[in-house]
Amino acid sequence: MNPEILAYTQMAVSGALMGLAYALVAYGFQLTFAAGKAVNFGQGELVMLGAFVGLTLTGIGIPYWLSIAGAMAVGTGLGWFVERSAVRLALKQHNEGWILLTIIIGLFAVSAAENIWGREDKPYPVPWQDGSIDFYGISVTWPEITIAAGALGAMILIEIAKRCTMFGIAVQAVSADPDAAELCGIRSTSATSLSWAVSGAAAAFAGTIIGPVTTVGPTMAAALTLKAFSVAVVAGLDSAIGLVFTGIFLGTVENLSGFLLGSGWRETPGLILLILALALRPQGIFGKKIIRKV
Amino acid sequence: MLKATNLHAGYGGSDVLKGISLEVPEGSCVALVGANGAGKTTLARTLSGLLVPRKGQILFKGKEISGLPASRIARKGLCLCPEGRHVFAPLSVEENLLLGAFPRLPSIGPFRRKASADLEKIYDMFPILQQRRSQQAGSLSGGEQQMLAIGRVLMARPGLVILDEPSMGLAPLVLKEVFEAIVTLRKSGMTILLSEQFARNALSVTDSAYIMEQGTVVLEGPSADLAKNPAVAEAYLG
Repeated sequence: MNPEILAYTQMAVSGALMGLAYALVAYGFQLTFAAGKAVNFGQGELVMLGAFVGLTLTGIGIPYWLSIAGAMAVGTGLGWFVERSAVRLALKQHNEGWILLTIIIGLFAVSAAENIWGREDKPYPVPWQDGSIDFYGISVTWPEITIAAGALGAMILIEIAKRCTMFGIAVQAVSADPDAAELCGIRSTSATSLSWAVSGAAAAFAGTIIGPVTTVGPTMAAALTLKAFSVAVVAGLDSAIGLVFTGIFLGTVENLSGFLLGSGWRETPGLILLILALALRPQGIFGKKIIRKV
Repeated sequence: MLKATNLHAGYGGSDVLKGISLEVPEGSCVALVGANGAGKTTLARTLSGLLVPRKGQILFKGKEISGLPASRIARKGLCLCPEGRHVFAPLSVEENLLLGAFPRLPSIGPFRRKASADLEKIYDMFPILQQRRSQQAGSLSGGEQQMLAIGRVLMARPGLVILDEPSMGLAPLVLKEVFEAIVTLRKSGMTILLSEQFARNALSVTDSAYIMEQGTVVLEGPSADLAKNPAVAEAYLG
């Protein structure tokens, strides 16, 4: 293959795999939005904290796989805490204060991380750091494969749980009509808490699979929140498959623009995408309409 | 079985219910008749816990339930089939029915199998729902949605069911089917509180009735007597 095309393809593939991680973080937005009509603007901060917790655990000799479980446990707790301590209070008063509250909690998380772990980016050691697989000259590293498999696996697992367990169906019911769900004996506040907890776990998990590729530092949070938000807005807040496509697209475009225009331009495509989506199609490209007859 | 005393409730600053008292004895079928805006739906929402009363007492099976969240009240067996159906539009017909039985079903595991006997009963009662079982509930016609809403509330195996305006917006043929279902339920011994704007049907299927006007009860008595009462006839029988 032409070496120049090969280089572009290599960049596109790496970007696409990273894009799946953005999709997973954005999926966290979908989960909480479905249940409580609110999202965590500190989702990227949860990803960062998840990565740091995982990193700390591997630092004291805990194997990578177990560090993932530990980070997810912390993420679950944090997701639950953000809903319980801040978002619910704002929604109870029917105001949009949750936007500011989740941003503030996120800022607090960044300063906490700077104080505990320092400002520098740290490598996240994984058992297979050096290995990579070649497909027709394009190399894919094991951490990249872990991102793809982990992000897709987590989303598929949660989607199955949503459709095939009574818990999941109940959460969907709360999302469709909270009062009617209450009348069925479903505590809608518990369903919302559950969604936030799962969303937090997904974010922390994302941190432990992104970390090995990008390194871990407090600055990863803001960039991830923005990218995930772009992906969620472009895809719409109700289509998981839309997130996957949009995530892959954004990841690819940003890697190519970083490669072509210089690394300072990496973040631009996400912003442009977000602005275009908000201006042209606020319900998202994949946003679906619910059939409703009266 | 259900006893409400001096209920005051409303939205914002003003009371919609201004001191309502009513009683639904076990095994009886009681009608709540009143014009649009009389407060029937506010009363139904208050009894089921969606709205917290400002004053007054609600006893269900002898225990105070006012102030409890609606989900707790539903789990105690006092179940509301709300005005306007409120089916879960994006979910399938069968999922809607399963949700009615939510407190009884395993959260993870073979919940469909566990609910199959109850589903069977509902499908016997409303065969159309079986035909449409995997369709989105939002795509059903108004009458089918009403049947689904009734089916969903019955899946809970309620001790007392409040049917709020089940006839709203229904074509006469569907209306007949819905009322036949109510008669069947009544014969099976279920305790029912039926809220209706149009008295003729409601009085014909119930034992006793309360007539509501502007948030208070203005008349009460056996349904057969009220149906003959000239004042009721003029105001509600048309």
